Amino acid sequence: MDILSNLALGFSVALSPWTLMLAILGCFIGTIVGALPGLGPSNGVALLIPITFSMGLDATAALVLLTSVYYGAMYGGRISSILLNIPGDEPAMMTCLDGYPMAKNGRAGDALVISGVASFVGALLATVALMLIAPMLAQAAYLFGPAEYFALYLLAFSTLGGIASKNQAKAALASAIGLGIAMIGLDNQTGLPRFTGGNLHLMDGIDFLVAIVGLFAVSEVFVFIESHGKGSALGVKLGKITVPWRDIWETKWTMLRSSILGFIAGILPGAGASLGSFLTYMMEKSIAGEKGKFGTGVVKGVAAPEAGNNSAAGGALVPMLTLGVPGSGTTAVLLAVLMTLNITPGPTLFADRPEVVWGLIASLLIANVVLLLMNVPMVKIFVKILMVPPALLLPGVMMVSFVGIYSLTGSYFDLLLMIAFGVMGWLFRKLDIPTVPVILGILLGNAMEDNLRRAMILSDGDAMFLFSSPISIGLWVAAILGFVAPIFLRRIIKKPTVPDHAKPVD
Amino acid sequence: MISGDRLFGAVVVLGAGAYAAAALQLQTGFMSDPVGSKTFPLLVAGVSVICGLVMVIRPDDDPEWPTLRTLGALAVAVAVLAAYAYTLKPLGFLIPTAIAAGVLSYQINPRPMFAVLAGLGLSVGLFSLFKFVLGLGLVALPGG
Amino acid sequence: MTNTFRALLTGAAIFVAGAATAAECIAPANPGGGWDFTCRQIGKILYDIGQVDQPVQVTNMAGGGGGLAFQTVVNERNDDPDLIVAASVATQTRLAQNAFGGATADQVRFVGAIGADPGVIVVAADSPFQSLTEMMDAMKADPGSVAFAGGSAAGGFDHLKVLQLAKAYGIEDVRTIKYIGVDGGADAITQTIGGFTQGMTGDMSEIVGFVQSGDVRVLAVLTEERVPGFDDIPTAREQGIDIVAVNWRGLYVPKGISDERFQEWADRLQAVADSDEWKEAMAANGLAPFTRVGNDFQAFVDQSIEESAALSREIGIIQ
Repeated sequence: MDILSNLALGFSVALSPWTLMLAILGCFIGTIVGALPGLGPSNGVALLIPITFSMGLDATAALVLLTSVYYGAMYGGRISSILLNIPGDEPAMMTCLDGYPMAKNGRAGDALVISGVASFVGALLATVALMLIAPMLAQAAYLFGPAEYFALYLLAFSTLGGIASKNQAKAALASAIGLGIAMIGLDNQTGLPRFTGGNLHLMDGIDFLVAIVGLFAVSEVFVFIESHGKGSALGVKLGKITVPWRDIWETKWTMLRSSILGFIAGILPGAGASLGSFLTYMMEKSIAGEKGKFGTGVVKGVAAPEAGNNSAAGGALVPMLTLGVPGSGTTAVLLAVLMTLNITPGPTLFADRPEVVWGLIASLLIANVVLLLMNVPMVKIFVKILMVPPALLLPGVMMVSFVGIYSLTGSYFDLLLMIAFGVMGWLFRKLDIPTVPVILGILLGNAMEDNLRRAMILSDGDAMFLFSSPISIGLWVAAILGFVAPIFLRRIIKKPTVPDHAKPVD
Repeated sequence: MISGDRLFGAVVVLGAGAYAAAALQLQTGFMSDPVGSKTFPLLVAGVSVICGLVMVIRPDDDPEWPTLRTLGALAVAVAVLAAYAYTLKPLGFLIPTAIAAGVLSYQINPRPMFAVLAGLGLSVGLFSLFKFVLGLGLVALPGG
Repeated sequence: MTNTFRALLTGAAIFVAGAATAAECIAPANPGGGWDFTCRQIGKILYDIGQVDQPVQVTNMAGGGGGLAFQTVVNERNDDPDLIVAASVATQTRLAQNAFGGATADQVRFVGAIGADPGVIVVAADSPFQSLTEMMDAMKADPGSVAFAGGSAAGGFDHLKVLQLAKAYGIEDVRTIKYIGVDGGADAITQTIGGFTQGMTGDMSEIVGFVQSGDVRVLAVLTEERVPGFDDIPTAREQGIDIVAVNWRGLYVPKGISDERFQEWADRLQAVADSDEWKEAMAANGLAPFTRVGNDFQAFVDQSIEESAALSREIGIIQ
């Protein structure tokens, strides 16, 4: 079978000692990053990108390292949710709801083990599904012309703005700001500078890595300066860790259902892992009904969101790899990785760079096993790391951001720009304006404009060309629904209350 | 007091206006490009104006704004970081990093001794990590 | 471990300026592209065959599509005898279109090209066009009926190839020919196979995989002779359209160096071109032989720039 031979190729790449070492290192760093409140998958990966490139890693090695960090962070997020009632990252938010009560009832160890196993099941099933679905989807690429791509980008922005945010206007504004920033620099078609104000530093546009590190990592430091790093003391005791086999067996259907739903949520462009954990928790809660006692520290309430968010993390890789449209903040960051490595994601990726794609998939499978080992028997190590005081951690994050960007671009102008993005990120979080659409806008802006222009060139300026194929019409309808429907749905379904003292970025 | 959303929305409307004005100054496209350099930026500016107006007309609940004192602390942090950006190249890694990290640490948790130790520790620790483990070619001291 | 070693080297290359005596090759782009390849391969072979006695230091200087490196050489390194800079047809086209902020081609000396990627015109396997002339006839009847995709921006080399062909075939208003610039040759082919454009214009190296898989048909290669290894692909010239367009890979040097030094670099380049190592590198990277060095090459570049400028002016890319 084709997939098996591809997978063999993948494992031949992934099982080299060097790659394996990077995967293990990535898992370790990732779990720490995920566990620490204030550092999530997206800012953790963002922080590491410049460093990775400065080390001169090749494409596959860099990708393996950074996706291991990504998966690791998805595992690690649950640790602080359970022990501190502070989500280590946004997707782990739902894990607080039953994880922290479990810990308060003296079952912190059980909660950590069950959530670790659920993470494993979710991530494993998602990786297998990714392996089966992505190549099929890649075939569909010949159906995507300029008009279809334009509609697809629009769908990504609208679902990100619609489903994943509270205020449509603010999400749309964030997208527009990102798109506006993307326009800075030389115009692809005419070669003339736009919006540079004559500044030479801006001729090549604003480097998206500078924006990502600024918005995600630097802004975090400002948030901590403002709050003086309150609320980071370990609230519960963690006893000896045993494996609650019976509880795990009881949640098998919960894990399976949640993995499937989470994966589907992850595939939707712009939705991502937070939606995955939210939907799966709500699904299990309604299946269990009143007797389920969700919210009081039940096992299923921990297993569902963890299986869901980890499998959504795998699902989000599908649109990113096959169409170049990321499904979440973190995959947007991973897209930035690919673009910096000169790898064009999209249909041709599977044909042109099989060693990259299949090496990545094989590494994800290996990373999962490594992560299960790290996160169940060795979880105590990571619990210790939670004790690192913010007054040491956050300055460290800042210095790593500086060194990373500096060694990548060697320009103080980019460092100043990064600080400016940090201030912008802080202000946006104050005003509850999401920052992920800004990144997505910067990443996709030029491609979106180019495709609009190409479509108009091919059609001699006839705007109806944008709606001329079934695929593009379908995408437009989905985009409009994705943006408008949540306005009405929000009145019907109320989001469950979540701990309000931490709102990390996804 | 004016809510943050209203103020920001108004700033966005003005900014988008300026952006659109700059877009209109761009040279027109050539050849068979009916869209040209202006259209997409103008669309973006249009969307921004609408969103800005929505924020002015229907603002969300205002967030809890930091006190002037905290704002001052943030301004200091930004100034320190800007200075750090300028000095990283001429003065080498160790000294600016120790100072900047120490100041930030003090700002997050005002314990002087801890801040000094954090600054020194991060400076030396990160330098060793980057230089010897990751192999980045950092310069330690001025002239070094 | 070799990777760590390479990481160290990369780091060193970023932070440490080259030692004064070693030759330096500036690749005006980030690692991984064509210019980077030119510098690294030529630099390595120069040292391997003993033309230089120290390894050539490669510096990546990305910015402005090569403009930053060009300006730096003109303004700061104008009399550096140990400096060579990677160039290609893109450098030539951008100079012709004044894309380097007022810099002109006579501010440096083009010392030689030692390989080229032949231009090609490609259609999908199910296209009605069987030959270049059939395609050109359709365009003559209605220039808007055949849209092209290529890996360079509008006005770039891939675009100019189509316009040159059309003009040579007697198509009057080349401005109405539709061209979309996409992200590289693979994307251009995908668009063409998908039927969104009727033709693809690109380089030989970009299409090899697709030709072997049978998804596309090559209507013409824009070289003087058929390309060895692809002997069944006809040239445009033998179909009656006398256009040669190849993406050459070569070098320029600062203007201020002596004529002797210029000749020395030309001779070194000739030695690289004659070496077996370079022939292997060309074969591995889809390049065809194309050797022109010294004043001969300078004259070739001057003439090409004149032609590109005239064409660009006609279609309105430059005033």
